[in-house]
Amino acid sequence: MNKIMYLEFERCIGCRSCQAACRECGGHDAKERNYVEYVDFFESRQTYPMLCMQCKDPACARVCPANAIQITEDGVVLSAMEEKCIGCRNCTFGCPFGIPKFDFEENKMYKCDMCYDRTQHDIAPMCASVCPSDAIRFIDFDEMQALRRRRTQMNLIEGKKPTEQDKWQYVPEFFGVYSD
Amino acid sequence: MNNLERAYSTSNVETVEDTKFNIKSFEKSFYSKTSMYAFFATIFLVFTMWIGTGQFAKIDLMLAGYMIASFVFVIGLIVRVAAWLVRPATKQLVKTSIQNLKSGNRSKRNVKSIVITLIENIFLQKFIFKRGIYRGIQHWLIAWGCIGSFAFTFGLVFGWVHFRLIDATTYQIMVFNIPMISMHANGFFAAIMYNILNITALMVLVGVIMALVRRLHNNDLKVTERAEFDVLPLYILLAVTVTGLFLTVSYKFLGGFIHPELALIHQITVVLFLIYFPFGKLFHLPIRPLAIGVPMNYQEEHMVDTRSCKKCGTKYSSDDQISDVKAILHEQQFDLQLEDGSYLADYCPSCRRRIRAMSQLNLGSVKGNPYGPVQTNNGIHIPGFGRKRSDEFYNKEEK
Repeated sequence: MNKIMYLEFERCIGCRSCQAACRECGGHDAKERNYVEYVDFFESRQTYPMLCMQCKDPACARVCPANAIQITEDGVVLSAMEEKCIGCRNCTFGCPFGIPKFDFEENKMYKCDMCYDRTQHDIAPMCASVCPSDAIRFIDFDEMQALRRRRTQMNLIEGKKPTEQDKWQYVPEFFGVYSD
Repeated sequence: MNNLERAYSTSNVETVEDTKFNIKSFEKSFYSKTSMYAFFATIFLVFTMWIGTGQFAKIDLMLAGYMIASFVFVIGLIVRVAAWLVRPATKQLVKTSIQNLKSGNRSKRNVKSIVITLIENIFLQKFIFKRGIYRGIQHWLIAWGCIGSFAFTFGLVFGWVHFRLIDATTYQIMVFNIPMISMHANGFFAAIMYNILNITALMVLVGVIMALVRRLHNNDLKVTERAEFDVLPLYILLAVTVTGLFLTVSYKFLGGFIHPELALIHQITVVLFLIYFPFGKLFHLPIRPLAIGVPMNYQEEHMVDTRSCKKCGTKYSSDDQISDVKAILHEQQFDLQLEDGSYLADYCPSCRRRIRAMSQLNLGSVKGNPYGPVQTNNGIHIPGFGRKRSDEFYNKEEK
C-alpha cells in the first residue's frame, strides 16, 4: 500500500455517502463500519467522518482474550476472526477511539478494515471513493504532505484569530457577507 | 563472617528450602512451564493407557501410528494453549473466571451461565445459525462429526475403551478396563457402536462438501480468504473422511479390495490431520469453552448493560468488564488516562469518538470546566475562511 487515508473533518457535509458505500461491500452484510456524527449538535451542524486509525499497536487486539484480531502485512487491523471471537466485547471498550462494532445476534465483532482487499492494490476504499466533499481522501504521501503544509501556511500567513468583535471577518466569502 | 561460615549458612538455607516441595523449584528442572505441562500430560496419557489396556496386555498395535500422532496432537495443543494463556488479556479473563467460580455468592449465576453457554453456544451453536442457516448446518455437522470421531478414536487409540466377547452372542464394552455395558452382538445398539465412526464421518463429509461449495461459489469469501488457512483444513478433513469411508465400502461391499493399502493411506491422512490440528484454523475448537466466561463475568443478561458512560450517561458495559479491560491495558503499558484522571474506557464508544474528533479540531474543553459547555472560540483560525488572503499566497507557484 503506497497511499494513505487523509481525513478533513471540517470538509464533512454529513451526507453519509461513505456509510452507504460501506454497507454496499459484499462481506458487510449491509451494516456500515464507519461513522458520521455531529461534533456538537447544540453548537452547529458540523459532522465528522470517523474511521479506524489502524493503530501500529492496536489496543483492541491487545485486550482480545481469544487473540482474534489480526494485522495484515500492510498494517491493517482486521475485524475479529469469526471462528475465534468469543463475543466478549473487550475490543469495543479497549479501543481509545470507540471504533469496533458488535453484533449481538451473530456474536461477532466487526470494524473498519480500510477495505484492505482494495487498498492493498492502491484502490481507494469504498468511503473515500464516494465522498463528494473530499473529507475522506485516499492520496499519495507527497500529496498529503503538501496539503498539510498548506494548512500550516494559511494559519501562519493569516494567523489572526477571530474574536467576538471581528468574527464576521472570518465567514466564508461565498456566504455573501463582507466586512468592508 | 568467614568463608567457611558463609558456605555453611548457604548450604543450610538450601536444605531448608529442599524440605518443602515447591512447584517453582520443580519447574526449574524443565526447559519451560510448557514443557513441564506437556511432560505431565504425556505421563498421564501413558498411565490411562496402562490402566485401560490392562497393563498394556490388550494394546492395539494396529493403531500405533495413530497413537504417536495423538501424542504429538496433545503436546501441540498444550504448547499452543500455553502460548495463548500467556497473553495478558487471556490470563485476565481466565483469572476472573476462576475467581468468580470460587466465590459462593455467584454460584447461581455461574451455573446458569455455564448451562446456557454449553447448550446454546457450544452444543446448538445458535450464533452460527444466525449468520446463515447453510453455514449453521455446515458448521454443526463438521463440529459434532469431528468431536464424535475424536472421542471414539482417542478412546480406542489410547485403549480407554475396548470390547470383550463374553459368550457367543454378547459383547461387553470395557471402559478403563471396567466392564460397563453388555450388548447383543447383532443388536441395534451394537450396530451403532460398530458404525459410529461411519456416522460421524458421513456428518463431516456432508459438512465439508457444503463448506467447500460455499468457499468455491461465494465471491465475497474469495476476496478475503486465505487458501492455506481457510481451505486447507477442509481438504484435509475431506481426505480423512473419504479414505475412512472407502475402508468401510471396501470391506463391506468389495470383499476387502485393496484394504491394507487403503488402511495405510487413511492412517497417513489422519496423522496429517492430527499434527495439523493445533496449528491451523481448527485450533478454535479447544479455545471455544472460554465463551463461558462472557456471561459469567461480564453480561449477566444477554444484551443488557449496567454501567453508564461518564459523559453522556448511556449504558454501555458492566463494571466488572471495564475494570478488567483497564487492568489488561495497564499491564501492557497503554496510557489511556485523561487529564482529569478518568480513563477512555470510562466513556461510551460514541463519546470516545467525539473526544477524538474534538481534540483533533482543537475543540476540546481545554479551558475551564471539562464537563461544561464546549468553547468553540478557541483562538485558532480554521483555513478556508474568507478574509482576503495575502497576495503572497495567491502568487505562489502551484505545484
